[in-house]
Amino acid sequence: MSLSTRDRTHFLILKLHSLTGIFPIGAFLVLHLLVNSLRTVGVWQYQLSIDLINNLPFLIWVEILFIYIPLLIHSLVGFLIIFSSKINLKRYPYPRNWGYTLQRITGAVVFFFLIYHLGTTVGPKLINGKEHFEAAPFLIDIMNREFQTVTGCLLYLVGIVSATYHFCMGLWSFCVSWGIIVGPMAQRNAGIVFALFGLALTALGVATVTEFSLDPIPVEATVGGGAS
Amino acid sequence: MKSKPVILKVKRQDTPDSKPYWQTFETPRKPMANIISCLQEIQRAPVTADGKRVNPVVWDCNCLEEVCGSCTMLINGRVRQACTALVEKIESPVTLEPLSKFPVVRDLQVDRSRMFDNLKKVKAWIEIDGTHDIGEGPMMPDAIRAKRYVLSECMTCGCCLEACPQFKAGNDFLGAATFSQVRLFNLHPTGQAQKENRLDALMGRGGIADCGNAQVCVEVCPKSIPLTESIADIGRQTSLKLLKDFLSK
Ligand code: HEM
Ligand code: SF4
Ligand code: SF4
Repeated sequence: MSLSTRDRTHFLILKLHSLTGIFPIGAFLVLHLLVNSLRTVGVWQYQLSIDLINNLPFLIWVEILFIYIPLLIHSLVGFLIIFSSKINLKRYPYPRNWGYTLQRITGAVVFFFLIYHLGTTVGPKLINGKEHFEAAPFLIDIMNREFQTVTGCLLYLVGIVSATYHFCMGLWSFCVSWGIIVGPMAQRNAGIVFALFGLALTALGVATVTEFSLDPIPVEATVGGGAS
Repeated sequence: MKSKPVILKVKRQDTPDSKPYWQTFETPRKPMANIISCLQEIQRAPVTADGKRVNPVVWDCNCLEEVCGSCTMLINGRVRQACTALVEKIESPVTLEPLSKFPVVRDLQVDRSRMFDNLKKVKAWIEIDGTHDIGEGPMMPDAIRAKRYVLSECMTCGCCLEACPQFKAGNDFLGAATFSQVRLFNLHPTGQAQKENRLDALMGRGGIADCGNAQVCVEVCPKSIPLTESIADIGRQTSLKLLKDFLSK
């Protein structure tokens, strides 16, 4: 059979969905949480990391190619997958079925959270043309205000927990569906390892939110004077 | 000793297209009774709990020892075989419904052809016929034999499909039983001749990538077949084939 039969296309789209979940989206999520947690080390270190990112060459193209397009593909196919299944948790409430069902729910939650998240950060940044060293004070100011309200904090906590859960459950199902972990023991052990990894990621996210919320520090642009 | 009768709430349907309706029956509580023997009682005296004489309830059964899979139905909402559903061990009143993801023929009898069609799609057999005698098959290592034995116990009952959130009446998902059978025949030294074709059939619409790893299948399989291990193993076989095709076609 040739590689490009219609049937094979269906298979390849699902495999692409699965792959994009790990790379680049999953990898980005880990990096993103890690970099943001620099805020708990110090606002200076945090600003430096934002400066670094915002001075990368071809930033917008890298973002489009490695974040927005894969995310769009993953979300679109993700919703198609969600709508093609028939949740039956009530009848068959086994732990793995819980995991599966929550995986679908958190996928949808993350999607709507990301619309909000991008709409309040990258969106205004691009509209106001805050590039290079101007980005950090602009973004940090937004986040400082975001975490002064309980709703803002809750919104981010839900978003972060959903994303880390979805990602770590996804790591596990990726390993099963690509045949990386096969036997029941291997599947169970990998589940434990990924759960611990998920907890660590969640802790990073929660610590960052807490730091922002308890200690909002305004900053000025590292290079080029005035903040806004 | 007079004990309370067994109350059976049965979901009935007269023809494949007619509307289902419910009827309640009461049968005497006998020691060691199973759902089949209760249905036989109804067959002998098809009278509902409120005294109405009706057509006897139709169901499928054959071996009566949980190896044929034909009496599979929803008992108290859960998929299982009626023959091993002992009345003493289940809650009364007992609700009986036909499988929800296969076309109903009548009452509790459904048409499970889809499962057999799926087995055909993946060539779930070993080809030994030819125009000439192809001689003796190769030796099978005992470890492979032992692995295959467990997989060969599948009785095509459909529990794993009924309980799977990805398997729906209208879609073309092949389901856990089919994946596991591909593993069974790909493990066979002679069956390996068709390995690529079987995997091809799984790398399409309704194939292995449509599985969402909810792993309900393995929980409900009455033969304790390691379905999720089969799914991951087929995942590995298809991943390797994908890579191979990608690099060599
Ligand atoms: C932070 C962003 C996201 C990350 C890191 C991520 C990551 C992943 C990973 C690693 C998988 C596992 C792939 C596999 O099972 O082979 C996955 C699966 C899935 N994702 Fe996402 N995802 C994200 C956002 C989304 C969004 C916005 C949706 C939209 C609804 C979504 C829907 C799904 C669905 C339905 C699955 C299950 C696929 C299956 O089991 O067949 N995800 N995701
Ligand atoms: S693992 Fe889940 S989705 Fe896959 S076949 Fe089993 S029950 Fe269905
Ligand atoms: S794998 Fe198990 S549940 Fe599925 S059809 Fe075979 S015996 Fe039934």
